[in-house]
Amino acid sequence: MSQAVRRYEETEQHLPIEFADYHESVKITGFWFFLATDLLLFASLFGTFAVMRFDFAQGATPAQLFHYGPLILETLLLLTSSFTCGLAIYQMRRNNQKGMLMWLIVTILLGMGFVGTEVHEFVSYVGMGATWHKSGFLSAFFTLVGTHGAHVTVGILWALTLVVQLVQRGITPRTSRKLFTFALYWHFLDIVWVFIFSFVYLSSMTGGRIA
Amino acid sequence: MAHLSNQSHHAETPDHEDRIEIGSLTPHFQAHGFPWKQVLGYVASLLLTALAFVLVMNHVLPPTALIAVILVLAVLQAMLQLGVFMHLRESRGSAWQVIVLGLGFFMAAGLIIASVWIMMFKAGVS
Repeated sequence: MSQAVRRYEETEQHLPIEFADYHESVKITGFWFFLATDLLLFASLFGTFAVMRFDFAQGATPAQLFHYGPLILETLLLLTSSFTCGLAIYQMRRNNQKGMLMWLIVTILLGMGFVGTEVHEFVSYVGMGATWHKSGFLSAFFTLVGTHGAHVTVGILWALTLVVQLVQRGITPRTSRKLFTFALYWHFLDIVWVFIFSFVYLSSMTGGRIA
Repeated sequence: MAHLSNQSHHAETPDHEDRIEIGSLTPHFQAHGFPWKQVLGYVASLLLTALAFVLVMNHVLPPTALIAVILVLAVLQAMLQLGVFMHLRESRGSAWQVIVLGLGFFMAAGLIIASVWIMMFKAGVS
């Protein structure tokens, strides 16, 4: 950092601020490497679910547990939060601090709505006796969907620390890189959710092999 | 904005590590007055999601075909997120993330397909 750091608007070159400092831009590349490894974590959980999804052991089946209502709500909340997070990055690149913070806070609220809905869904399953030690299906389901939910929860806490930093320090090459890596993480979780609602929920509601 | 020829310019400037290397960027970063890309990306993601839900709710196809179709829709939506919101191709210098993520997807697919394949033999022994 020091004089080597140049502001986006000062350089007259169309490089976004999060890439303006060489060392910060390397951290963005590094974060992509982390996402590739996180992808493998989720792939192993998806693989486990794919193998266990019909092992009900006389316990609850997807047809008894899954409902469209909470699923559509969760999906809408997360898809919209991905969009608002994209708008936060858009405003960050335009050096609009107010707009960026507003969309980041909207993103956090939507993320909280998602986690709240999911916790409510899990509690209702447990209330029906569908706990995660009941069957292979439920173990795989709670591990996969719960790991995703834990990621979203961590993302919310991360975003809250970013709000504080962005208010205190403004949009600098360093804070913008932090927000950009958070955005990558958030969109990545949206992609994972797309596969969860498609493969875990919807594919169990197609009317194929129910118990 | 001048087009810099990378190598020759590097040699002249001692602090090239911290210099902005606009010449090596592919593609150029977008800067529009209105976030059309994001809005269109959001609308497209909603349409893909709605399509998957409607197809399953109305059972328009046999289960196996239906699962194949919604997985294709999920892959399309993942590509959309990567391209529109994650700025996958934007990078300073080489876009290493494309190669690393490609390798990640290859290993992920292998992990899932091989797990399902090998466990198909469970029915034959248990």
